[in-house]
Amino acid sequence: MDLFHDNPLFSGIRQMLGAFAQQQMRPIAMKHDADESMPWGLMKSAQALGLTQSALLDGRKKLTGVDEDPDPKKPKSQARLAVAASEELAWGCAGIALALGGSGLACSPVARMGTDEQKAEFKKLLSGTGENGHIHVAAMALSEPATGSDISGLKTTARADGDYWVIRGSKQWITNGQSANVYVVWAQTEATAGRAGVRGFIVGRDTPGLVPGRKETKLGIRASETAQVHFEDVRVHKDMMLGAAAAAAGEGGGGLADTKKMLDSTRPVVASQSVGIARAAYEFLLDRVRSSSLHGTPMASHQHIMFELAEMNMEIAASRLLAHKAAWMADHHLENVLESSAAKAHGARTAQYVTTRAMVLLGEEALEPGHPVEKWYRDAKIYDIFEGTGQIQRRIISRQLTGQNPT
Amino acid sequence: MDFALDAEQDLIVQTVRKLSDRDLRGWAADADRAGAPPDRLTALGGELGFFLDAVPAEADGLLDGSYSHLTRALRGFELGRGCAALAALLETNVEPALAVGTWGSAAAKQALFASLASGGLATFAHDSRGSLALTGDGKDLSVTGKLGPLPALGVATHVVVAAKDVLFLAAVEGMKREAITPSGWRAAKWGTATLDAYKVPADFVLARGPAARTAIAQVLSWARASLAARAAGVATAAIEHAEHYAAERIQFGQPIGQFEALIRLRDDAQTTTAAARLCALHAAWAIDKGLASAGDLASRARVLAGDTVAKSTIDAVQIFGGYGFVNDYPVEKLMRDARAFEALYGDERLGRVLSIKGTKE
Repeated sequence: MDLFHDNPLFSGIRQMLGAFAQQQMRPIAMKHDADESMPWGLMKSAQALGLTQSALLDGRKKLTGVDEDPDPKKPKSQARLAVAASEELAWGCAGIALALGGSGLACSPVARMGTDEQKAEFKKLLSGTGENGHIHVAAMALSEPATGSDISGLKTTARADGDYWVIRGSKQWITNGQSANVYVVWAQTEATAGRAGVRGFIVGRDTPGLVPGRKETKLGIRASETAQVHFEDVRVHKDMMLGAAAAAAGEGGGGLADTKKMLDSTRPVVASQSVGIARAAYEFLLDRVRSSSLHGTPMASHQHIMFELAEMNMEIAASRLLAHKAAWMADHHLENVLESSAAKAHGARTAQYVTTRAMVLLGEEALEPGHPVEKWYRDAKIYDIFEGTGQIQRRIISRQLTGQNPT
Repeated sequence: MDFALDAEQDLIVQTVRKLSDRDLRGWAADADRAGAPPDRLTALGGELGFFLDAVPAEADGLLDGSYSHLTRALRGFELGRGCAALAALLETNVEPALAVGTWGSAAAKQALFASLASGGLATFAHDSRGSLALTGDGKDLSVTGKLGPLPALGVATHVVVAAKDVLFLAAVEGMKREAITPSGWRAAKWGTATLDAYKVPADFVLARGPAARTAIAQVLSWARASLAARAAGVATAAIEHAEHYAAERIQFGQPIGQFEALIRLRDDAQTTTAAARLCALHAAWAIDKGLASAGDLASRARVLAGDTVAKSTIDAVQIFGGYGFVNDYPVEKLMRDARAFEALYGDERLGRVLSIKGTKE
């Protein structure tokens, strides 16, 4: 393992983004939580650090100063870098972290399945700024009102019409759904094909029939925009269908199976964000314990409190190790389906546990409006829901354990 | 042993259940967004006697004889099913009225009861962190520090404060008060109050020294039994919403409520909630009977109910999935509301640890 002390690449990223989180994210986190607003200014300035909306397509050189070894057989560092970075950013603010990285959800399938032309078109739509001065962002439109955990039951359809596909349907819980300039939308292309018929399409914001819907008011991660998106007979050129070549060649790629693989790759990152939230709450409590008294005795003199801190520390360390292991396996081209799900599920549990107990131990203080631990408590819950609920992760893990088809 | 309700209790439960199902649940979402109760709450609560039921009849209240904490817990459970914030406002006068009625001087009774009879609200503050500084000459008190955040303190005229070994009534006028809207119980008119050498006249001091410690323990047992009952009500509401949703939401070809993992989640919540409700009722019954164990039972009831409402509401959001995270559905509010049940009056477990250590020292 090279993650913790002796690898300057990872420790450098942690150090740089930890400082960024402390100095740039923390001061504005409560404001964007209260306003339920995107941190557009920070999203723009963060690009200078390599935190671009198209980072997955750009490569990591801007962030790390080095490129990946192009040899596909050699170990990579991308998954571990993403895990190390995401903990620091979520420590700063999970909502802002998701705003900074939300476009990555849409970049991922384009990077994985897109042709050079598709990548170029996607990057073109994602570059620059809009009339309001906001940088362009992308949205991955997969979930639907009736299709949350069960993504195989998509109702959005894509009908062939000459050189075009005509997309019709509604999407729900879409990160950047209202503000995106480019969408990757998933639709059923063959009514009887089931999962095999689900395909992704790159769709520009200005395409007629694409109607961003209502923005959701959420429990947490409020600096990240979540909205519905409606596709009302949206015509998309056939060249913008992801994985078309692989499908035509009978290689079986480009469909829902690839989106599931994509989720396997993002789960360690999401898990690491949970760790960041848990660590934030734990450190806040630790600071209180070190510096505060209760009825005239130092908080640190109470075994009751000290043991809770010890439990939190252990759980956070375990969650972090699970996330790092899953990322290390991905970088070493090892199948990590079970490990990714275990990291995601454990991280979510830890974030909820630590934030909940920290609130209890802080007492009435945590009821103050704008208290950070209360915000982290609300932020933590989504990590047991999105990118596959805790139940879905356990389903994947248990099916892996018993050799059943994980889908 | 008889678990049946008497006719009066049954009538109260049925009446409050209707109030909760028809009115409180209907108002809850808008009140939460607005951070304020609907205007009709005051009128309806007044008609049903919530604000004066602990005020003695001779002071224009409704209390004739002894107060029934058991009946209060029964109604508190139903109120919790409706809306935690509105329930807190409907219940807020009880501790101050009972404390002043039990230990108050004529002047204290006159001041508080006249205010409550004319529509004022009062609240109870417990300095669980020991942050108030109290000095005095054995008669008047001088108090410096901060009260709250507390529900109803944003609008209350009076507050009964339990601090160290003194229990006193204070008029909020003269304090530097700030109305706030926290994340949970948003409609409960929260506030904080800063006291800077605030003078409490001797006849507003309800108890001092050992007598105060006994009185404070008693008031806390009332508050904790009531909190526990309401928390069990909120937990029950979360389960009711989740059960309804799980019966309708289809994933993987079947209602999600038929998946064993969710059956287990819901069943565990129902079991612990039933236990929490019974513990709250038991504590309230013990208070009514004057049992020495009442304080301990109320404390334990609050711990169990706090744990239960926290877990049940989190699990309800889980069952709702993505819909649980947005405020179109009621459960995200319940998850926010759950926190105050554990946070008000400090950490119960820690309080008990300190208490037990204190008795051995």
